Amino acid sequence: MSDQIALLRRDAQEEASRFPALLARAEHLAGTVLLGEHGRRRSGLGDDFWQYRTLRPGDSYRNIDWRRSARGDEQFVREREWQIAQSVMLWVDTGASMRFSSGKELPTKSDRARLVALAVSILLVRGGERVGFTGWSLPPRNGDIQILRLAEALATDGTEDYAPPEARGMLPHARALFVSDFLGDLAPVEAALTKAADRGVRGALLQVLDPSEESFPFKGRTIFESVGKTVAHETLKAGDLRDRYLQRLAERKGRIRDLCRLTGWQYSCHHTSDSAQNALLWLYRAMDGGHG
Amino acid sequence: MTMIGPLGFAAPWLLLGLIALPVLWVILRAVPPAPIRRMFPGVVLLLGLQDDDQITDRTPWWLLLMRMLAAAAVIIGLAGPILDPETDDRITGTVPILVVTDASWSSAADWRAEMQGLDALLSRAERESRPVALIRLTDPQPPQFQAAGVLRSRLTGILPEPWQPEPAQVERALALLPDGSFDTYWMSDGLARGSRGGLLDALEARGAVTIFESPRSHYALTPARFEDGHILLTARRLRPGPAAEVTIAGHGLDPAGNPAVLVRTPLTFDQNATEAELELNLPSELRARITRFEIDGARSVGAVTLPDDSLRRREVALIAGNDNREGLELLSPLYYLQKALVPTADLLDGSLTEVLPANPDVIVLADVATLSPAEQDGVLEWVEKGGTLLRFAGPRLAASDVSRDSEDPLMPVRLRAGGRSVGGAMSWGEPKTLAPFAEESPFFGLDIPADVTVASQVMAQPDPTLADRVIAQLSDGTPLVTRKREGQGQIVLFHVTANAEWSSLPLSGLFVRMLDRLAVSSMPARPDAAELDGTVWQPIRVLDAFGNVRDAGTLPGVEGPKLLVDPLGPNLRPGLYQGEDRSLARNVVTAETRFEPVTWPDGVPVEGLSRPQETPLGGWLLALAIALLLADVIASLALSGRLRGGRPVAAALLAGLMLMPVDSRAQEAAPDDGFALQATAEVTLAHVITGDPRIDDVAQAGLFGLSEILFFRTSVEPAEPMGVDLETDELAFFPLLYWPVTPSQPTPSPAAYAKLNEYLRSGGMILFDTRDADVAGFGAASPEGRKLRDLAAPLDIPPLEQVPQDHVLTRTFYLLQDFPGRYNSRDVWVEAAPPDAELVEGMPFRNLNDNVTPVVIGGNDWASAWAMDERGNPMIRIGSGFAGERQREIAYRFGVNLVMHVLTGNYKSDQVHVPALLDRLGQ
Repeated sequence: MSDQIALLRRDAQEEASRFPALLARAEHLAGTVLLGEHGRRRSGLGDDFWQYRTLRPGDSYRNIDWRRSARGDEQFVREREWQIAQSVMLWVDTGASMRFSSGKELPTKSDRARLVALAVSILLVRGGERVGFTGWSLPPRNGDIQILRLAEALATDGTEDYAPPEARGMLPHARALFVSDFLGDLAPVEAALTKAADRGVRGALLQVLDPSEESFPFKGRTIFESVGKTVAHETLKAGDLRDRYLQRLAERKGRIRDLCRLTGWQYSCHHTSDSAQNALLWLYRAMDGGHG
Repeated sequence: MTMIGPLGFAAPWLLLGLIALPVLWVILRAVPPAPIRRMFPGVVLLLGLQDDDQITDRTPWWLLLMRMLAAAAVIIGLAGPILDPETDDRITGTVPILVVTDASWSSAADWRAEMQGLDALLSRAERESRPVALIRLTDPQPPQFQAAGVLRSRLTGILPEPWQPEPAQVERALALLPDGSFDTYWMSDGLARGSRGGLLDALEARGAVTIFESPRSHYALTPARFEDGHILLTARRLRPGPAAEVTIAGHGLDPAGNPAVLVRTPLTFDQNATEAELELNLPSELRARITRFEIDGARSVGAVTLPDDSLRRREVALIAGNDNREGLELLSPLYYLQKALVPTADLLDGSLTEVLPANPDVIVLADVATLSPAEQDGVLEWVEKGGTLLRFAGPRLAASDVSRDSEDPLMPVRLRAGGRSVGGAMSWGEPKTLAPFAEESPFFGLDIPADVTVASQVMAQPDPTLADRVIAQLSDGTPLVTRKREGQGQIVLFHVTANAEWSSLPLSGLFVRMLDRLAVSSMPARPDAAELDGTVWQPIRVLDAFGNVRDAGTLPGVEGPKLLVDPLGPNLRPGLYQGEDRSLARNVVTAETRFEPVTWPDGVPVEGLSRPQETPLGGWLLALAIALLLADVIASLALSGRLRGGRPVAAALLAGLMLMPVDSRAQEAAPDDGFALQATAEVTLAHVITGDPRIDDVAQAGLFGLSEILFFRTSVEPAEPMGVDLETDELAFFPLLYWPVTPSQPTPSPAAYAKLNEYLRSGGMILFDTRDADVAGFGAASPEGRKLRDLAAPLDIPPLEQVPQDHVLTRTFYLLQDFPGRYNSRDVWVEAAPPDAELVEGMPFRNLNDNVTPVVIGGNDWASAWAMDERGNPMIRIGSGFAGERQREIAYRFGVNLVMHVLTGNYKSDQVHVPALLDRLGQ
């Protein structure tokens, strides 16, 4: 297991190394108050200089900047910029449906999802953000040690066939990233996104699909089974189902996209046959410049 | 047999099965293909989707059609279809069939066609369930009627014999004819024979007789004759026809001893001619080598003829004691011999040492007394291998001491001093005449002319063996010709001269005939039966009916008269027979052989051998069915989606089904170029991997250390040393191979040894290190020493010596006198200097080997002394204190010298010429 973790971490670091440090844009300064590297454009606790202002009653003498004050008659207080770290919450689908790939040369969906998620996490952590999981299993923290924890947590597999998104424990006004194939019931997704929007959490939703799920290249008499073997469907002419399947898939994508638009999230679909960097590039934009 | 067009069916009722095909169609169509289970997370999107077509997915019509075709092919194939079946009414019937075949040498030319024709007849008889028996006239055995299939299976074992049916054999066949009535197929060889009529009558009395005979014209070759320096060959053909050309080939051994065609000449038959003659003019060397003539492509023993001694001209070397009497030709000791031998033999001139390598059949020494020891040994060896040494007496021999006290090896008898002279001016008595030849003498039967007299002779010393050795004597009983067998050869002494000085024998015709009898000259005429009476001739090579030469093996010998007159048969096969001193050939076709086409009486049906070929189609149909079923497998897989297009699996499956040979070598991993690149980018030292990790590590570290030293001190800049696996790695890249010998290392495979020898021959060097300081002396009882001997035994190693003081190894870079490693022993062995290497005056060194010594063998554990870790610190302690470090330094210097020696060869050795060159330049 530790080998897998190390491998996963190595792959993710390779992916992350191709990007400049990602500074997530903070829209809201409220909420989390811990010091980070993002100036909040107001005075507060921080290291960087923000402004001088005249001494006001109530200010502690300790705060007077004597060098500046000596040049005039007034006493000035040196204010520093209020710096905070952004919190990013991840949810990566651990369901059995993710452990699927249609060919030996293709990675499974969960591989790709974890890789992209961890790569983004590393970028965020390097940029000084705090990254964690939704729910209470791994609250957001910063530092390299958190990357280790994330990698370890990502390596666990779930037992359900199609896992519902974990929407609990989301910090208000944090950023969130959901990675899944979104083939399961959409109602929990809808509920999670609504709840996130209620809390002011915005983020990105990455749908990872296998190419065979996109093209449905099947023919003949076939019994289709889910990975966990909980759902099965038999058909005599798989080829005939293709158009209807693709239509349903398009409908589902459309629904998720609508949902994202409503809640201010961003949506993208990624195929495991494509390069992982495509997904990471998109996430970079989504987390950094999406609302610039 | 049911006929449908040109098709016949052996089991037509099986075709009823075709009726079942439509039923099969319906059944197959009703059964859908089995479903595949497929893992697919997107299944949730499929839930609730209904198939448009509620009826089961049907097998496509073309797949059904393919299966129907396969089933039909099986049914039709099993019904036994035959294309163009034999439907000749003339040879139908119910009585048994007797197949009579001449099976003679003449049949052999068309044997394959005859057997194919017979096979067709038998297959027909098999279908009609007629029992069949076969009788070969050349070797009649009681015929037994049996199922035709049994005989068919034996057809390949029925072969013609290299003779033709003699009347006696036909008589025997007549006696063996089975009772009752039967039809007869007679496979005739087409030759006219007197015995045919009686047999034909007897057969016609029992039933219908059909003759099968090839209309082709057969060829025959009569024995080669030798006339006027030419070989005459006569070829004959059975039937006159248009002009035709055949090729006569003379086979024999080439000078290397391999069978080869020595001469090949076309021979043209004129129109309507049945005979053609070929005149061959061949050098005697070539002629003597020819072992048989044959007509190319005739495939019959009749077209092969074996020449025996009659074709061969003997090579006779004439050597006289003195040739200084110019102008007195009639007195020359060789004059009469030359006259007697020129027509029949090839004469060789030259000294004895020149003549011996040509291996003549006979050497004549005319009045030669003493031979040098070397000549004597050479002649004796040649005699023992079968040469005939013919000596003539003369004044020199009479005056010499040869064979006086003890018998000379090259003389048949001891001689008394002086000899005798009778009937001369100073002696009493008349010249002596010859006594009649004794019965055991080779000259027995020759007429003795009355005018042959002997005036002088050398006298044989009476001896217990003398009586056996005399083959001709004078009327008073003194030996005239004596003979001694020596090995396979003989030594014959004429007690008179070869010219007319001592006797008139050389002037007479008797002399020539005596030489003939001694097989000095070849025998132009075949001996007659009376001459061969009482001799037994051993077959050496015999011919089979197809003209192939076989070793005679253990065939019994044949009595001489029978060999000449008896007809060929099982006890007298055509071939080459060896007698006491000559060989005789029995050929199938001789000048007297009757070679005419047979004329059958009217009313007897005669057919050619080629018959319309029946073609059974069952096998092909069944094969088609299998192919269709295989195609069905692939198609079914493809239909059910198990076979994705473009997959290599599918391609491999198809390839496998096509039974195409797959070149397995193509699938082998390409050889790793990395090794070669690494080894050749720079000079790389290498050590043999022994399997002992400690030794290997030390060897690696030692070569690393040596490489570092070389890098620092010389212009040789080696790369990281490499370990070499003798079995798998290429050695040619490495100039030097360090081989630490451990008792436990595996002995390389023969392939690895071949590689090692190739490496040594192409200039590589192996430094063997037994690492035992030679405690027990080189090659002695230390385990490493023994192992070294085992390892090096199959290697191509030249003679060795201890490094001499002036060996180039002592001065290729440093001047060294010792070659220490961890130990300091002087015993280091290199290729020995050539024996003729001498110290030239004024030169400091000998001019030694021109090459790099391929091996250096020692036990000083050099690698340990050289061993260096990554930081350049010595790994293994050598000796103690400064002396030890000094020893290490010398060890490094040895290593440098060694590598320099490998890389520059004898460059430093050539420097010995520098003083001389400078001197010559006047510097």
